Amino acid sequence: MEINHSKMYEEPGCFDPNNFTAEGAGSGFPQAVQKQFEENMDLSVDELSYHHHTHQEDAAVSAMELELQKHLAFKVENCDNNTHMLQQVVDDPNQLLSYDHANWNTGDIGFNQDDPEQNGHRSFNINSLPQTPDLLNLFHLPSSSLLPNSSISFANSNHDTTSLGFIKDLPASHSTSVLYDPLFHLNLPPQSPLFSELFQSIPQGYSLPTSRGGASSLFGDERDSSGVTAYQDGDGGMLEFTRDMACIVRRSETGKKKKPFTTERQRREQWNDKFEALRNMVPSPTKSDRASIVGDAIEYIKELLRTVNEIKLLAERKRCVRERSKRHKTEDDAGEDVKNCNIWPLGDPEQSYIGSLRSSWLQRKSKDTEVDVRIIDDEVTIKLFQRKKIDCLLFVSKVLEELKLDLHHVAGGQIGDYYSFLFNTKICEGSSLYAGAIANKVIEVMDREYAAVPPTISY
Amino acid sequence: MDYKSKNLVAERKRRKKLGDRLLNLRALVPRITNMKKETIIEDAINYIQELQENVKFLTGKLQLLEVEPFSEEEANPKREETNTVEDMKKCGIQENVEVSYMSGNKVQIKIIFEKKRGKFTKLLEAITSHGFQLSDTSMTSSKGATLVSFFAEVTYDGTLAVEETRKSLLQIVRSM
Repeated sequence: MEINHSKMYEEPGCFDPNNFTAEGAGSGFPQAVQKQFEENMDLSVDELSYHHHTHQEDAAVSAMELELQKHLAFKVENCDNNTHMLQQVVDDPNQLLSYDHANWNTGDIGFNQDDPEQNGHRSFNINSLPQTPDLLNLFHLPSSSLLPNSSISFANSNHDTTSLGFIKDLPASHSTSVLYDPLFHLNLPPQSPLFSELFQSIPQGYSLPTSRGGASSLFGDERDSSGVTAYQDGDGGMLEFTRDMACIVRRSETGKKKKPFTTERQRREQWNDKFEALRNMVPSPTKSDRASIVGDAIEYIKELLRTVNEIKLLAERKRCVRERSKRHKTEDDAGEDVKNCNIWPLGDPEQSYIGSLRSSWLQRKSKDTEVDVRIIDDEVTIKLFQRKKIDCLLFVSKVLEELKLDLHHVAGGQIGDYYSFLFNTKICEGSSLYAGAIANKVIEVMDREYAAVPPTISY
Repeated sequence: MDYKSKNLVAERKRRKKLGDRLLNLRALVPRITNMKKETIIEDAINYIQELQENVKFLTGKLQLLEVEPFSEEEANPKREETNTVEDMKKCGIQENVEVSYMSGNKVQIKIIFEKKRGKFTKLLEAITSHGFQLSDTSMTSSKGATLVSFFAEVTYDGTLAVEETRKSLLQIVRSM
């Protein structure tokens, strides 16, 4: 960062260089940087006091801001005892930024000016703090290079008096950043030259891009700091907005325009659409909240895998039977055909599928009916739950006959408003019935019967 | 402050739940392109579509295979049925109907008959058409015989005559 040192020292300031000691360096900042800090603070303080800018100075300021935002600590406040403006920032409760207290050593926030050493020391703890408080510094800087009132035009924002106006409808999330103009209430004169300098590379009508590659601080290009985060005190919640804004400069400067800009809203909508699409693929969705949708999807995928295995196994068996029957026909022994084919499930060394046990399970729900079909080898267990009163036993047993399932055991009856039945059946040999077919057929018949019965008074 | 922290905890739990499930979903899907949350859902959708098409294709194949050999299937049921009648005779089970009066309109009915495909259905049809309302039903079969036991509410007018019920049911069973 090129800093015009000579310019900096021109300004006499209320800044008291005595407050700066070398202690800060002990926190790990390189000496050079620390020196820069002092210089930066010089100038920034001066700006606040004097509101005097030349264009060149602005450039210098903007350049320094890059440093400031990253590294600068409370020192500014500490040294600004006499700065009227800063006090105004500090004292006005409505505009005071509150932030995550946990990240700070307590007591820092109060802008105590009584112990510059102590504060100075603490202020350099920022480096060890997580990113968020790091950039909170921004808001305590008398930074004129932050967004001046309504100088920024965002494609999506209202041109309110508050630059926060557009933030309100954005969701809060951890990975977002906020642009906040801490000084706007101070009614500083618009500093357009500075601003245009900063955003010179942004094309007109630039909409808020979505940050994909991580954010950079608004004014920094090489900074790896995260976006600016601020917390507004009044409502106790976080007003955040994507760090997209922070990417504006970076994006345009690096010339990356891979994707069309997706605003946060669009991103959210796209994501919700995906959830909806997932939900529509699942056969019997119940709740429509995200976690349930994902849960249903997981179960459905498992069911599909089971079905695939089942059908493959059935196909293998079928094919084996056919081949055996072909082979036996050449032997010209029709009577033995049947008997031999009966034995094949047990000891056929050729097909690996045959030896494995067929198992399958799935559930299907419709509006009034719920069916659970489990198949192990040739035994099918069907559980049925129905809400309304119709004579389901008769219909189901008809269906089972159609499907060529031997009914071995039935148990069930009425429980409250529901009918509940359990059917134990066996698949007759050679039938290649799979679980899905059974369930679908049962549900189909049930629904048909419900539709056929006019609504009756249950008794 | 208590409400805030409760809400925070609940919200964190909720988010964690969603995150865990998304990870489980990702574990199931074989082809994942990205590690981002959004793409896992995309990948899952594609995978489900793939599986569904796979199932369709395989069932189609199965149908084709189904068309051919019929001969074996027809041979089997007949063999089974002859066995059942023999078994019943061996064990001394006979067709029977028992009706016991419970209370009010309820009777308990037990029916034993020979196990044959489709008989149960016929029995149900006959029973319901004669006006019996089954409330709890149980059916088991062994040794070639089927036992059906249920509670019924008799709905026809007049005093409930146990013996009459029994006779009419016996008629039904024999006519099946």
